[in-house]
Amino acid sequence: MSPEVWRGTISFSLVAIPVRLVEAISPDRVSFRMLHREDHAPLVSRMLCPDEGKIVPREEIIRGYEFKPGKYIPISAAELETVAPERSRTIEVTAFVSSSEVDTVYFDHQYYMVPMKGGEKPYRLLVEVLRRSAKAGVASLVLAEREFPVIVRSVDGLLAVNTLHYPDDIVTTSSITKTGDNTSAKTGTVPRRVGRSRSEGLSPVFAGAAGMNAEKERMKRVIGKMVAKFDPEKYADQRRERVVALLKKKMKGNSLVQAPEVEEADRKVPADLVAVLEASMRKGKKDE
Amino acid sequence: MTEHAIWGGNISFGQVAVLVKLHPAIREKRIQFSLLHKRDLVKLKRQMVCSLDGAPVPPEDQARGFELEGGRYILVDPAELEKADPEASRAIEVHEFVPVADIDPVFLERSYFLEPGEGDTSAERREGKSGTVSGSRAGPREGTVPVFRALAAALEEMHLAGICTWTMRKRSYLGALVSAGKSIRLNTLRYASEVLKAEPLASAGEALSTRELAIGSELIDHMTGSFKPEQFENRHQQRLQELIDRKTRGQKVPLTRPRRRAATEPSRLLSVLEASLKKVA
Repeated sequence: MSPEVWRGTISFSLVAIPVRLVEAISPDRVSFRMLHREDHAPLVSRMLCPDEGKIVPREEIIRGYEFKPGKYIPISAAELETVAPERSRTIEVTAFVSSSEVDTVYFDHQYYMVPMKGGEKPYRLLVEVLRRSAKAGVASLVLAEREFPVIVRSVDGLLAVNTLHYPDDIVTTSSITKTGDNTSAKTGTVPRRVGRSRSEGLSPVFAGAAGMNAEKERMKRVIGKMVAKFDPEKYADQRRERVVALLKKKMKGNSLVQAPEVEEADRKVPADLVAVLEASMRKGKKDE
Repeated sequence: MTEHAIWGGNISFGQVAVLVKLHPAIREKRIQFSLLHKRDLVKLKRQMVCSLDGAPVPPEDQARGFELEGGRYILVDPAELEKADPEASRAIEVHEFVPVADIDPVFLERSYFLEPGEGDTSAERREGKSGTVSGSRAGPREGTVPVFRALAAALEEMHLAGICTWTMRKRSYLGALVSAGKSIRLNTLRYASEVLKAEPLASAGEALSTRELAIGSELIDHMTGSFKPEQFENRHQQRLQELIDRKTRGQKVPLTRPRRRAATEPSRLLSVLEASLKKVA
């Protein structure tokens, strides 16, 4: 089960549905654990007070803001919540848009929204209506000290929440495109609109419309021969495959170490990968 | 201000080759917090400690292990891992072109804006180095600009995205080339294995009546507009700054208790939808 990242209410008009958000993304890199070279005991990350040279227990850790170099002011979670008291508990859908209208540059992260007890029916209504209309709800989500614009979509019987970037955080193409036209170095428009009202920035040699058109048509012919359906399953992370191959090899070589038993609360083992490796080890033994 | 390119490569497919430079498309400005020791407000540092005896372990005494069950680990050397790094390359290889609408947003990870590259892509330019992109060096190689523009225009007119792979900073990437006005954007895509499936989380439940669905659809129709990203302003950051300013002036912050909205009763769903519709219609 994915870890829960938020718990609250999603609302549209007078309808309010208790929900929680869980991760939709799980980085698939092979992750390693740092061990103590001496005894192979796993290492854990702790916070150290450099002044005292001591590890600080969790209850003595607070959050703060550096308002002058080396000077910090503490800020509590309750104080942070006063910045957006309502929105930190409610995702209020204020409008609906056609899903396909949102430019790809805006997308950041995705979560799934799951109904809590009693919210199942209105939740299913929203899933169904959004699916039929191919629409998405526009809202905002507050996570810790950040607020994100989000869209809420219907995906395979669930609501998915996509956090979006603010238009202010998007670098405009005009600020990077070398055009020989100095006026284009200004910022201020979102990418969708860039270019329409501005000079094309073609250097005089290539500005000929006819030449440009011929080039474009040639390009379209080349592209037209390579059209396919998007199938993300086709592509695998090359590095990950190599690391897995390395691990399989090392496993056959029996270069395993045993860590001493330590009690730990937050342990995570990527189960599927372990299964793959265990299977490969069994196979290796049979082959011998 | 002109931004610096972070990497340069060569887009290739069929007989086409276009030198390009990458610029991050997103620059987030956000207020950062630190972890402090409550007692003396000293900024804390992260430290790896041994889970057995709690003693800090310096980097030279740390080893990397892949965990199996039962506390067994495969020890792996950094040198061994380095061998798994993909070979350095400047090629951005386009494998196929797919309808932009086919790419579910869950795959979208990071965006880069491209600009036509210069003749020499061998030197990787990094931020902070002198000699910016718009400096006095030679402009794009003759021929690069029209091909770049033609690719941008073709992608735009065909509503297609070029699915490509490349290696950048020792990582292999999957990406989509899409048109962005007169320019081209490169979106890195998440690998399919990184995307968790929705189906296992979905649950059936009480059936919805035709009437509930009809009123629900009508309500959403009435609340439908066009997507206006300009309306998203990061007011949260401004308010957060105000909170910090108040605190640094030594003023108290009155705590407010967040209101929680009462959940809509399943049995009252239809009447709540009808009341909502009356409100917006």
